[in-house]
Amino acid sequence: MKSRLWLALRLPDLPLVSFPVHPKEQAVCVLEKQRVTYANRAAFEAGVDIGMDATTARLLSDCITYQRDIQREQEYLDQLAAYLYAFTPYVHIQRSDIIPDSGLLLEISRCLKLFGGLKKLCDKIASAMADTPTAYGLAHTEDGAWLLSYDNHSISGDENSADFISRLNHVPIGRLFDWPDEVEVLKRTGFNTLGDISRQIDMQSISSIKKRLGQDFSEFITRLFGIEHNFQQTALFKKPVQTYQPKEFFFDTMQFDYPIIQIEQLHTPLEKMLQQLGEFLRERKLACQKIEWRMFDIYQNGHHLSVHCAIPQNTWNLFYDLILIQLENQQLPFAVDAIELTCQHLQKWQEHNQSLDFSDRRSKSLGSNDLALLEGKLKARLGEQAFFKVSYKDNHIPELACEKVAIFAPANQELPAVHQYALRPTWLFETPLPAKKQRALFWRGTLELLVGPERIEGQWWANTTARDYYIARREDGLRVWVYRDISSGDWFVQGIFSG
Amino acid sequence: MPPNPSKPISLEQLLRRGDVWRGQSQGFAPQAALETGHAELNACLLHKGWPLASLVEICQPGAGTLSQGEWLMLSPALRQLKNGYMVLLNPPALPFAPGLIQAGIDLDRLLIVAVEKKADFLASFTELVRADICTALMAWQPKHNLSYTELRKCQLACSDGKGLYLLFRPLSVQQQSSPAALRLRTQLHLRSLEIQIFKQKGSLNQATNTSIHLPLPETWLPIAAHANLRQEESPPSSTHSTNNVSSIKRPKRKLP
Repeated sequence: MKSRLWLALRLPDLPLVSFPVHPKEQAVCVLEKQRVTYANRAAFEAGVDIGMDATTARLLSDCITYQRDIQREQEYLDQLAAYLYAFTPYVHIQRSDIIPDSGLLLEISRCLKLFGGLKKLCDKIASAMADTPTAYGLAHTEDGAWLLSYDNHSISGDENSADFISRLNHVPIGRLFDWPDEVEVLKRTGFNTLGDISRQIDMQSISSIKKRLGQDFSEFITRLFGIEHNFQQTALFKKPVQTYQPKEFFFDTMQFDYPIIQIEQLHTPLEKMLQQLGEFLRERKLACQKIEWRMFDIYQNGHHLSVHCAIPQNTWNLFYDLILIQLENQQLPFAVDAIELTCQHLQKWQEHNQSLDFSDRRSKSLGSNDLALLEGKLKARLGEQAFFKVSYKDNHIPELACEKVAIFAPANQELPAVHQYALRPTWLFETPLPAKKQRALFWRGTLELLVGPERIEGQWWANTTARDYYIARREDGLRVWVYRDISSGDWFVQGIFSG
Repeated sequence: MPPNPSKPISLEQLLRRGDVWRGQSQGFAPQAALETGHAELNACLLHKGWPLASLVEICQPGAGTLSQGEWLMLSPALRQLKNGYMVLLNPPALPFAPGLIQAGIDLDRLLIVAVEKKADFLASFTELVRADICTALMAWQPKHNLSYTELRKCQLACSDGKGLYLLFRPLSVQQQSSPAALRLRTQLHLRSLEIQIFKQKGSLNQATNTSIHLPLPETWLPIAAHANLRQEESPPSSTHSTNNVSSIKRPKRKLP
C-alpha cells in the first residue's frame, strides 16, 4: 500500500478576506461576540491578544475592528477548494470550531508523478496561492500535516514518514487547540510534547491513553501518527480518502445567426435550452428552483431575467411557461444576438413519497405540484401579492381576525365557540367605509337597521376600540354589517352578508 | 373503436350528440352537473344542478362591486366539492374568514387571486379553468366590461375543464348577449333571494323567465322592534352586551 502524503495549507489571515486591505502598520482586529478572534501583526505588537474584549483591544492599539463573517470565509474556502481541485481530487476543508484558523488539506501522493515530483508540485501550489498568505505543512497524515503547518518547515522533496514522525515529536502539546481539556490533563501529568505521548505509546500501548483521556482522543492520536489502532490485528485497508465533489451548476449559451427582434422567434431556442437543462437535471437526479436568463445584443449589452418557482423542479416545462409569461408582459430591449441560461443552485431531487394516510387529508396533499405550477404562472403574471388565501386569527377586532397567508401555509380554521354562532359576514372591507348619518343611515342607499347591537371591544392596550355592530338592510335588499364607533359616534360599513 | 371515416354517419348517431339543437324536444345527453342544494333551483335547471364544464353567468345589481347572497346560493354546492381548490378571482372584497368558516367553507382549499387589468383577468381565468386542481372558480368581472369575444374565450376554456365556473357580472349587462351556458340574475328581497334564470342552453322557455325564491336565513330578518324604530333617534340605548361576547346568536346551523 502506497503511503499517503498530505499537504496542509493553513490560511492564518482568512478572517480578513471579507474586509478591505489596510497598510501593514495599521492594527486590524476581527471580533466575534465582542471578543478578538483575529489580530494582525501590528495589533499583536501593540499588545492585543486573542480572546481580549473589543474595548481593551481598541484602547491598546487604536485598531480597526470588524465583525467576523463566517459565511464569507466558508465561501472563500469553497472557492479555493474548487481552484486546488486542479492539482488533486482529494481536497478537504479544515475548520475548527474553537480557533479561527482554517485551511485546506490536499492528499498529493497520487499526483506527484504528474506534476514532476513533490518539490515541483509544492512550488506550483505555492505560486497558485501567491496572493493569499499561507502556511504549509507536509506529513503522512492529515492531522499531522495540519499541526506541522505551524512550524514552517521548508519542503525539500525527499521527506519520508520517519522525518514527519520526528517533526511531530517536537510539536508542543499546547498546539492541540481542539482538545483543550485533554491538553490540560496531559500538561498536569507532565507531558509537554507529542513526543512524550508517542514514547508513552511505545512503552505501554495506546490503551493507557485511551483509559485516561477517552476514546476520541486516543483515536485522534492514532490518526495523527498514522499508527495502527488495534495492535493485535493490523487493518487490511486504510480508510478511503473522500474525493472532492466540485459544485455543480448548469450553463448553456446560444448564439443566433441573426439578431432576433420578435419574442415569438425566441420560443424555440428557449425551449431547446430548457430541454438541455431538463436532461441535465434528470441525468444527475437534481432539481432547481431558480434559473437565470441573460440576453445580449451584438454590443454585449445585457438584459437579465430570472425565473423562480415555489417547489424545486426536476423538469423544464414550468420554467418554459414562466419565461413565456414574463416575456409576454415586456418588450425585448434590443435585438437579441446571444442568450445564456444559468442555474447556479442545484439540489438533490427527492422523489415524492406518498404517506400511508387513509384520512381525508390525503387528497389535499395531492396536486401540490400542480398548485405550484399554477402559483408560479399566476405570480409571474400578477406579482407576489396577488395569490393568497385567508386564515382566521384570534382577535376581537374584525379586520384583525382575518389575515392573508401564503397558499402553501396552513389556514387556521378553529373558530372559538364564542364566535361560532355570532353573526359574521362573508365579505369584509379591509378599511371600513364611512356611512352618512343624517335623518337615516346612508351608504349607497338608505340603510335600515335590522339586528343588533353587538358590542365588540378590544385592544385596550393600544388604541381602544369599542363598536356597536348591526346588520342593516339597504333599500335594494343588500344586508350589510355596519357599526357605530362608540368614541366618535361615526358610522361605518364593514362587511356584506351574502350567505 | 373510432368511427370509420368512410362510412356515412347515420341520423341516429348525430342525434345522440348532446349539442345538436332539436327544437322543442328536450332530448339532451345528460351533462355532468353539481347538485345546487336547493330543491326548487334543481328543478328549474336542465341537468338538475349547476352545469359543470361550462360558463355560468350571474348578474347582480350593484355594479359588480357588491354581492347579493352568492354564498347563500352557492355554499351548499361548494361544500359538496371534496377535492381540489375553490378559487375566487377578483373578488369584490376580502373574504372574511370567520363568516366563511361558519358557512362551512374549507379555508385551506379557498384561494384568492387579485387582478386589476382586464387582460390579466382573462389570462388568469383561462389559466385557472384549465388547471385540474381548480374545481370551482368564482370570478368577478373587472371594471371594464367583457366583450362577447372575451366571454367566448372564457366559455371555450370552461369547456376544457371539469369544474364549476361562475362569472359574476353587473345587472346592466343582462340585455347583452353572452355565450354562457346558463345565465341568472339574483336580487335580494326583504325575506328571500330571488333567482331568475333568463338563459339556459337547450331550453326554450326563455320568455317565461323562471323565478325562484330562496328563503333568507332567519338571522337576517328584521327583529320586529328594530324595524319599527325607524332610526330617527340614536341607536337603542339598551346595550347590555358585555365585552366581546356576542349578544346575538345565530340559530345553530348544521355544518357539513
